[in-house]
Amino acid sequence: MTSGGVSGPGLSGSAAIAGLGITDIGKVYGRTSADFAADAVLRAVADAGLRLSDIDGLLTSNGMTGGGSFQLPETLGMRDLGLNVTLSAAGATASAAIQYAAMAVTSGMCDAVVYVHADAPLATPGMSSAAAYAGAYAGAPARPPQGFRGVARANGLSGANPLYALAARRHMERYGTTTEHLGAIAVAQRAWAVGSPLATMRTPITLADHQASRWIAEPLRLLDCCLVSNGGIAFVVTSAERARTLAQPPVYVWGWGQGHPGYSMERGCEFGLVSGAGMSGATAMKMAGISIADIDVCELYDCYTFTVLITLEDYGFCAKGEGGPFAASGALAPGGALPTNTGGGQLSGYYLWGVTPLSEAVIQARGQGGRRQAPSHDVVLVSGNGGVLDFHGTLILSGQPR
Amino acid sequence: MDGSVARDEASAAFFDAAAEGRLLIRRCDACGHWLAPYLRMGATIERCPVCASDTLHWTPAEGTGTLVTWTVIHERADDSTHTVGVVELAEGPWLTARVDADPAALAAGASMVVGFDRPGGGEPVPVLRLVGARPSD
Repeated sequence: MTSGGVSGPGLSGSAAIAGLGITDIGKVYGRTSADFAADAVLRAVADAGLRLSDIDGLLTSNGMTGGGSFQLPETLGMRDLGLNVTLSAAGATASAAIQYAAMAVTSGMCDAVVYVHADAPLATPGMSSAAAYAGAYAGAPARPPQGFRGVARANGLSGANPLYALAARRHMERYGTTTEHLGAIAVAQRAWAVGSPLATMRTPITLADHQASRWIAEPLRLLDCCLVSNGGIAFVVTSAERARTLAQPPVYVWGWGQGHPGYSMERGCEFGLVSGAGMSGATAMKMAGISIADIDVCELYDCYTFTVLITLEDYGFCAKGEGGPFAASGALAPGGALPTNTGGGQLSGYYLWGVTPLSEAVIQARGQGGRRQAPSHDVVLVSGNGGVLDFHGTLILSGQPR
Repeated sequence: MDGSVARDEASAAFFDAAAEGRLLIRRCDACGHWLAPYLRMGATIERCPVCASDTLHWTPAEGTGTLVTWTVIHERADDSTHTVGVVELAEGPWLTARVDADPAALAAGASMVVGFDRPGGGEPVPVLRLVGARPSD
């Protein structure tokens, strides 16, 4: 597996994340995703100690509610951008966006690129997650679908919950993974969330609480599933040299990779057993010049507890099939050997697709985690995951220059 | 919503055979590769993923396979449950369909047979049953 010419060792550490902007986040009502996006961009630019006129590149992505991407330069008065693109690799978009931003600043295409993701699926207080996402689906059909789409609808596989449940069940059947193993991930991440002022869910939970939470789609329970959140997060990416002159400690981009398995859904297919993390992680670690043992902190895409489990296996933190016992060992929790999802992740912190793990990674690499700061944080691995394990992206970040 | 399914041009041949209790899947004329009649979210493949030929034809399948995975979906609104499974057909493609079986009796690798139900009186849609089991209703 090679990383390809573009991500050769010469680029490792040549770009850095210099600004982070997080809006009010979670159950924040009455604002559009476009408004969150503009707010996040302004916060990130100010965080970096820059002015908006210093930004000459813009990358955007949308959650369920869209909006904003086309309006943003107009809304904010951003003139003569050398880059303005909306990206989509589902939950893997954020990790990919930092890769393209790094390429833009290291190639000389841009001096400083802002990447922003925003979403506002929660319309009213008390709205259920399912209703939020159903209402947010742009272009939902007005009449029941015909033909095979009607068959799929009759099967009831609507939304991501049952599809990830199919993946998790297959893993359980093959490797003996249990709902208690998944619960250990939920409990560990909630323990981290207790220390994060950004987290939505900050009351500790036990494995018994997880086991008592209602089924969504077996084998996934309520506490195996991510939150639904409103908000926006933006990042400023610039060259390592320039980042060293700015307001915040630079977070250097040591390595990056992507891996998209292309499941065949026929005999021999590894859906539910193997994700794209293996390919993506190997590429990123090779570029960074590190091995799995060098990683101090993991910020993993956690739309479901199971996503964390399979991602840990495929990166190589444990053997294939051993993700359950590895999680149950306590390694991921505060005080464990591999601090993982230290802000509570999407399960307990906030759910803004790939910018959830990415934002916490920047905080940890800077050493600004406060009560939840991981003691060792020189090398932070970030994952993105999209579709139903269809997309994967990896970043290796560090507060240390390469 | 009663869950009934209406046919369209792309699914007409499939439903005609299903009405007679026969499962049709698609096969590539050029290389013989078998394809599922539909993907899990209802899309169809229009070109052979092995050889890129677009000459795919509806072909009878055995209608048997082994269970790959399944989920029991819980509906909060009415406290109901239903089971959806993925079966690996004898010919190789995966077929996603409702499962008519006690979930406690399911296991990966279990031998399944493809039957048909008519939810809401609409077109017949595939349903997976354990080999030797009778329809529950």
